[in-house]
Amino acid sequence: MTQPLPQETPPGAGDWLVAPELAPDAADPVMSPVYEAAARGALALPFCAACATPLELEQYVCDACGASAEIGTAGRQWRDVPLAGTVHATTLVHRREPGLIVATGPYPVIDVELASGHRLVLTTATPSGQAPDIGATVEIAFRTVGAVTLPAVRFPGRIADGKLLTGE
Amino acid sequence: MSQQPAIIGLGMTAMSVTAGPDSYALASEAVAAALADARLERGDVDGMLVGSSQGVREDRLSVGLARRAGFGDLRLVEHLEIKGATAVAMVTRAVLAIQAGMARTIVCVFADAPIAARSAVPGSAGALYARSGGNSGGRGLERASGVLGSVPTFALLASRYLHLRGGTEADLCAVAVAARAWAAGSPHAVNRKPLDEDGYYASRMIATPLRVLDCARPVNGAVAVIVSSARPDGEPKPAIEIRGMGAVHPMRRRRAGGESWFGGGRQAIEDALAMAGLARGELDVVELYDPFSIVTLCLLEEYGFCESGQAGKFVRGGGIAPGGELPVNTGGGQLSGFYLQGMTPLAEAAIQLRGEGGDRQVAGARTALVTGIGGRIDHHEALVLAQEAA
Repeated sequence: MTQPLPQETPPGAGDWLVAPELAPDAADPVMSPVYEAAARGALALPFCAACATPLELEQYVCDACGASAEIGTAGRQWRDVPLAGTVHATTLVHRREPGLIVATGPYPVIDVELASGHRLVLTTATPSGQAPDIGATVEIAFRTVGAVTLPAVRFPGRIADGKLLTGE
Repeated sequence: MSQQPAIIGLGMTAMSVTAGPDSYALASEAVAAALADARLERGDVDGMLVGSSQGVREDRLSVGLARRAGFGDLRLVEHLEIKGATAVAMVTRAVLAIQAGMARTIVCVFADAPIAARSAVPGSAGALYARSGGNSGGRGLERASGVLGSVPTFALLASRYLHLRGGTEADLCAVAVAARAWAAGSPHAVNRKPLDEDGYYASRMIATPLRVLDCARPVNGAVAVIVSSARPDGEPKPAIEIRGMGAVHPMRRRRAGGESWFGGGRQAIEDALAMAGLARGELDVVELYDPFSIVTLCLLEEYGFCESGQAGKFVRGGGIAPGGELPVNTGGGQLSGFYLQGMTPLAEAAIQLRGEGGDRQVAGARTALVTGIGGRIDHHEALVLAQEAA
């Protein structure tokens, strides 16, 4: 069972990267399971209930078996997945949009291939001015923007409590 | 006399990097210029296809343009939306409509005006893109993760491409420098100042590995082309035959173990070439959709002009630059020319095939490939154009 993790940025403290107005819509039916899971320190992602193919966040028909995976139906199965992945692509963003980006230097954006088979584009949980190498191993941690907790990337070894990869 | 559908008119506004008329006014101006170019009156036109930039504009062009631009009754009016592939696809739709007898003379127009003097969004066109996208869906999570505008996404794509194919930023530099060299000869290009490697590397980094000179230059402007089975009387400009058309829309999935940005586009070019009865080696100019330098590299390989992993070397060797083996984006493309989506490559192909390229004219250019892409290289539309036989 996934251990609850301490959030890297507690609610109200302000995110290191973006202004609160960029907080996602936590009630968005497409994404709310992701944010609900993040609030308890877990990463939940959608699978096809019929064939267990990992689905994109906005995929409503399974491309492997053709089954419906519409929102709010049993065809769309949300599961907690291991907090582990590798870097598929990476960039260090230098342009900081005034009013939206609050970081004071370049920040990383990382396209992560998760062990579950999904891919997510995330930044780091804590301030970072470095983009990891493609293929590097990363862990999933969490950050809070406004009142919404989001998945984020943590580089291995930064917290050596051994709990991150205990997974499901 | 009725003949095969061909491009018989081209109209372009000035390409502006400062605020000015809205997209409807720009589109109306381009349409009027195209009519004058083709020596037609509004009453000679019986169809209009309208394309606009997706989503983020207050004055996004619609079929209301037909009334705004002064047309009377029309037989065909449509707004087309295939993201960045729209403009090129409009020509295909016009050809098919004419061949089906639904219309005879169709104006295809695209306009964009991202640079606004007074707007809810302060600052540059970059600020407009950065503030577009909302906070729902997967995009909401990405935006909250710092993915604002399209540059970070194409920077991710670039990092992946360079990793897979063994490329370096020198490859990106060579694309940007080649585009600028072509732009020097184009009065429509907004960036014509000479650019060398030092200038490229000194330019501002936006999102590694993409510098500002790796990114298209947004403009306010419009382009209209007229596709018709009629040939105007008198001494009109040479008609441009639409010899080949192709399209493909690969549905790649973002899933571990696969590539979500590359592959699946080549069939559009194969189909267009087959319809035209031409081989790649018989193309005199190639006009690609190049919103970022990395896309030129990707498409040279995707479309079979270079082997996988060889586009960088080809471009660094001067292959696509003036005097090179394969003239690509001969007006400076979207990088140094102007960013009006698929109208950028389409207009330049028309100019080259008419022999009106001035200082950038490719000698003896008789055939051209034009491509438009949409999304994250998800939609491909291709045309093979040729000078009409006398």
